[in-house]
Amino acid sequence: MRAQFILAEIGSGLRRNLAMTISVILVTFVSLTFVGASALLQLQIGKLKDDWYDRVEVSVFLCPIDSPNPTCAGGEASPEQVEALETLFASELGDEVETVYFESKEDAFASFEERFPDGYNGTQLTVDDMQSSFRLKLTNPENYEVVNDVVTGRPGVEAVEDQRRIFDSLFLALNRASLMSGGLAVVMMLAAVLLITTTIRLSAMSRQRETEIMKLVGASKLFIQLPFILEGAIAAVVGAFLAVGGLWLGVKYLVTDWLQSSVSWIAYISEADVLRIAPLLLLIAFFLAAISSVVTLSRYTRV
Amino acid sequence: MIRFENVSKVYARGARPALNGMSAEIERGEFVFLVGASGSGKSTCLRLALREERPTQGKVFVAGRDLSTLSSWKVPSLRRQIGVVFQDFRLLQNKTVFENVAFALQVTGKPRHMIAVTVPEVLETVGLQGKEKRRPHELSGGEQQRVAIARAFVNRPSILLADEPTGNLDPNTSLGIMNLLSRINATGTTVVMATHDSGFVNQMRQRVIELSNGVVLRDQKDGVYGAGVPMPDDDALREPSGHLAERPWSPPVEVRPVPALESPAHAQGVTGTVRVQPSSQGEW
Repeated sequence: MRAQFILAEIGSGLRRNLAMTISVILVTFVSLTFVGASALLQLQIGKLKDDWYDRVEVSVFLCPIDSPNPTCAGGEASPEQVEALETLFASELGDEVETVYFESKEDAFASFEERFPDGYNGTQLTVDDMQSSFRLKLTNPENYEVVNDVVTGRPGVEAVEDQRRIFDSLFLALNRASLMSGGLAVVMMLAAVLLITTTIRLSAMSRQRETEIMKLVGASKLFIQLPFILEGAIAAVVGAFLAVGGLWLGVKYLVTDWLQSSVSWIAYISEADVLRIAPLLLLIAFFLAAISSVVTLSRYTRV
Repeated sequence: MIRFENVSKVYARGARPALNGMSAEIERGEFVFLVGASGSGKSTCLRLALREERPTQGKVFVAGRDLSTLSSWKVPSLRRQIGVVFQDFRLLQNKTVFENVAFALQVTGKPRHMIAVTVPEVLETVGLQGKEKRRPHELSGGEQQRVAIARAFVNRPSILLADEPTGNLDPNTSLGIMNLLSRINATGTTVVMATHDSGFVNQMRQRVIELSNGVVLRDQKDGVYGAGVPMPDDDALREPSGHLAERPWSPPVEVRPVPALESPAHAQGVTGTVRVQPSSQGEW
């Protein structure tokens, strides 16, 4: 009886304030889309980091045949220098370096030929145009500076390069986009709270007589307020579902169907990630509504 | 059943108090008229008993509860023991007669089968059988008030508060409403009725509490409305219609003279010291 009655009250309340209900739905939809977009960008950043940081390494380029670099004044790195570096990685840097892979200039040339069988920009290169290098996988990629300090300037070392640097600007851009989206989300959520508050107030006013009679015949406070609270909550949750749907479609058409097929070497977020953040969006919607209801109702339907 | 202990109520700071050290006790099963000029504090008394307001000073006890210490979450259970009827009926216009009465049960969480049984019963009690599907605007004022009474009584409250229930009704219709309130009182329900309707007060000879400027001016068993002055509309009220037969009390065929000022009963009354105990409601 109670449930049925409350549902009927909610239904009539939502119908009576149809325009307001729709605007609540739309505002929560937009604000939660921003929240979701911000969360998805963070997920995407995390995915890229996981994917790339596993693959990227610290490269220690050894002196090629004629390098202008002063540490390479002695010409191409000698086998002794290579051996000395190997010892260094095993002893002094033993804690930082997990695996060492030596790429000789022949190996480098082989992979170059594989990638550019017709030569690079019309020039056919030879083995001697390549340089040998060490590829170091660090136990903790954050410790790059330690490795850099120790290795740079050693005889036979031309340059030390952390491949992670390449991605820094991309991550920075993604992070800023995520922050911007988050900021807009906050503004939109404020609008949503104000709108829900107004909607509930209107609803409470249009049902003042019912509420008054409910009080007089001894309906409990919860029973009187529950329809209003749920009205706001239902509108907000519908908005959240729309946001989830919108993000799902966005990820499907923009990321999975388009980006994935055109730039395929990157790990992308998928529709599954949208479903992962869906409960978060629904919870946010529910609490937005519940909090604004409680604040409003404590003023408008006092027992 | 209801006890006011030296109750004062000031609505706004500095304003004239609505009640000013008022004391009265109403026993279980009594029928009490609350009379007095507009602004004398009648409605405030009813609002205090419902705990819609809290007294500024003094204590109000209703059904054995001290309302000044009653926590707000217990207020609903207090109100389930009290039925209220107003001058303006306060029906829900978009609901039918049945739904209006059922509303009181629905919102207090009563099961549906109970509503299906109780509502027709109480509608029959108030004489509205066959009008369950009407909406309030399709009913006469008297019928609307009957719906309101049915709604107030459907929970079988031990107290029925009526704030000028006949204020908007013509004399003959009012008679029917009074009749109904009497019958509800006869089932053991305490009825407190604030009224300006001197005719019925004079006819029914029930206890009368007269308020003036927030204090009890007179508390009189078998009392009359004014200080012995017949009201001009008395005669109109005493021309009963065909409802005569079902009245629980015997209306005088002739206008009964209002007791003269010298009569002992009245002289006693004006001192305001009479404390009347219920006489005929032994079963409660």
